[in-house]
Amino acid sequence: MMASQKSSQNPEKQGLTIAVAGNPNAGKSTLINAIAGSRLHVGNWPGVTVEKKTASLEYDGRDISLVDLPGTYSLSPYTQEEVIARDYLVKEKPDVIVNVVDATNLERNLYFTLQLLELGIPLVIALNMTDEAAQKGFRIDADKIASILGCAVVPTIATKNEGLKHLMTTAVSFAVDPGAHAPGFVSYGEDIEQALAPIADALKDHPEVLAGRLPLRWFALKVLERDERVLSEYAVEADALPIEKAVKHLKAAHGEDLEAHLADTRYGLAAGLTREALKKPEIRKKELTERIDAVVLNRYLGIPVFLAAMWLIFKLTFDIAGPFTDWFDGLTSGPLSRWAQRLLDFAAAPDWLVSLVVEGVIGGVGFVLAFVPPIFAMMFFITLLEGSGYMARAAFVMDRMMHAIGLHGKSFIPLLMGFGCNVPAVYATRTLENPRDKALTALLIPLMSCGARLPVYVVFVGAFFASQAGTILWSLYVFGIGMAVIMGFIFKKTLFRGEAPVFIMELPPYRMPTLKNLLIHTWEKGKHFLIKAGTYILAVAILVWFLLNLPWGVENKQESYLGKIGQISAPIFAPLGFGTWEASASLITGVIAKEIVVSTMAVVYAPQAQGEEEEAAPSFVEDLREIGVSFAGALREAATNVFSTFGIATISAEEEEGAEDLKTTIAQAFTPLSAYAFMVFVLLYMPCVIVLIAMRHEFGTWKWAGIAIAYQSALAWTAAFVIYQGGKLIGL
Amino acid sequence: MTLADLKPGEAGKIVKINAEGALKRRLMDMGVVGGTGVRVEKVAPMGDPIEVRIKSYALSLRRGEAKSIEVEAQ
Repeated sequence: MMASQKSSQNPEKQGLTIAVAGNPNAGKSTLINAIAGSRLHVGNWPGVTVEKKTASLEYDGRDISLVDLPGTYSLSPYTQEEVIARDYLVKEKPDVIVNVVDATNLERNLYFTLQLLELGIPLVIALNMTDEAAQKGFRIDADKIASILGCAVVPTIATKNEGLKHLMTTAVSFAVDPGAHAPGFVSYGEDIEQALAPIADALKDHPEVLAGRLPLRWFALKVLERDERVLSEYAVEADALPIEKAVKHLKAAHGEDLEAHLADTRYGLAAGLTREALKKPEIRKKELTERIDAVVLNRYLGIPVFLAAMWLIFKLTFDIAGPFTDWFDGLTSGPLSRWAQRLLDFAAAPDWLVSLVVEGVIGGVGFVLAFVPPIFAMMFFITLLEGSGYMARAAFVMDRMMHAIGLHGKSFIPLLMGFGCNVPAVYATRTLENPRDKALTALLIPLMSCGARLPVYVVFVGAFFASQAGTILWSLYVFGIGMAVIMGFIFKKTLFRGEAPVFIMELPPYRMPTLKNLLIHTWEKGKHFLIKAGTYILAVAILVWFLLNLPWGVENKQESYLGKIGQISAPIFAPLGFGTWEASASLITGVIAKEIVVSTMAVVYAPQAQGEEEEAAPSFVEDLREIGVSFAGALREAATNVFSTFGIATISAEEEEGAEDLKTTIAQAFTPLSAYAFMVFVLLYMPCVIVLIAMRHEFGTWKWAGIAIAYQSALAWTAAFVIYQGGKLIGL
Repeated sequence: MTLADLKPGEAGKIVKINAEGALKRRLMDMGVVGGTGVRVEKVAPMGDPIEVRIKSYALSLRRGEAKSIEVEAQ
């Protein structure tokens, strides 16, 4: 509503909107970051998972809001990004469009520019990466482009902050007086213009046009192209319009598909414009990108290089994050808990409140914080992969394999990261553009056995399969992958039936991403997780505290609400070989995070409250010093890990405290067969709450989280049933 | 012949796209329009997709999609 009331009749208005549009890989993101910096706000476009960046800033005493449109190659109505970009431009009517154009790739970028000009909004081209173009020996006549298209052209180098001030000044001056800066008229050739005239004539009385809400030329072009979205949205019966004669002539000359003819025409114009404005050197040098690709995409080296890169990123992500996760853990379970306890004791708070705050709230905070380091590390590397141009190559190398189970080449990386932790892996699906690819990948991620499931395996394998520990562990990981392949096939045929998305992807030149860009993206993602996901996780942690501790004063955990729920649900697990209330209570709490299965077992299998030894509590100052010392230790350890990454990898699973006692108890409560069935169940059953929240967060709906709960619970039950009952049949 | 029939190093000129709707428009938006020169650069290690050079940039697409692009050899 607000936007439609904006008009050019009021040149004194203060608030101006600048929309930034351009092809992917044209440096749009770098340009926005350079202009907006820390004022950048990252959110989502309503109802979709596409990122929306906005910034409010002041320029020359005016309030400017900067809106970053998704990077697209076109304004056609076929992809989510394109629809978002064009709906925004048509409906919200920004005062000016800043079109970021890659100077090294003029023709394809200008094809998009021509579509922007159809909207009649003042346009400023940021002719970006002029340094790279100069390096290639390109000479570009910016004034010529400006005069032919009737817009402004400002050369920029966003990575070096060059030309951005001039760009903003020009954009603001255009926005202030749009009437004087309406884009020039670009003729699409006699036959198209002759067909457009009667269409425009027939549409000029359409209420949306009369109200000044639809640019007439754009509207007429869309009707000529028979753009389904526009026709239905504005209730236009193309066949009822008196335009048959005009269209017939065009179709006779150029075939039935006028949409294709118009694309051809625009490309023809872009090519002509490029010829006029661009002087290239006679001989094309082999570029650095081509020399790198000769190795990286080589038939024999491509896969080894890719696997090495993935291994490195996986190791770095979890090795760098690990010590900081431990540090956060120590911080919350140690000093923070002690301080809270002392404070509450001092205030003479009742026991239940102390327990709620220390175990529920601070314990929950500890959980949230534990995920922050891997998410930061993961987003850093994903941004690095994308910004450098390698992500597209990774997809190119892996697509054949992933395509077989209905996925996209880019799906491989999130799936691989899932072995470390499913949570950052779900966030890593952001690299997939198509909503279908993205959802399918996210649904399969929980089948990758994450690090939190390892402590469960360690206890059970230790209790039953100590002699073949390696083989049994390995079999669980492979089982998960096998299930992912099968589920991929099933989903492809059911939930995601229909045409598989296309794989038509630019392989952009390799570029060095700026540190500023890397840090901004990493920070935004981590911050979002902390604020949005953090709240939910905290609520769940408190809920579980209630379940475990109520009715208040319960001594025997079997009498707690959790114990009662465990008893009620135990029969469900009986056919799987572990129908005890202890096992089901552990599985229920394991929903918070799968390693909790073990810590719950330690509590429920030891009904007598373990008399904790009272240690002399350290003083406040000692605590503070310890926090500092342990942080320095974490830094040192992360640094050591980075270097030892190049050494021999050792899998070291940390055993929970009291694991020996637990193993003895478990050895009595389970048989080897039911233990294996239990481990398979833990591997497959519903993802932990944090993964579900990440899915909700990433997709903007609970739908996919719900589907994950449903299918994984069914899959886990079936698999454990088949293993247990099958095993019994063959006499195991 | 189609773009999928060209081997690495071979070049051709696009004649037309035998596809409809989203696939056709996507290809056109990426510069796959009649009369444009195209050269196959590489085949991915597992045999699919392929990389082509068109309008001075590198584009990758699956063989299935390349089959819908009719070319004449140069």
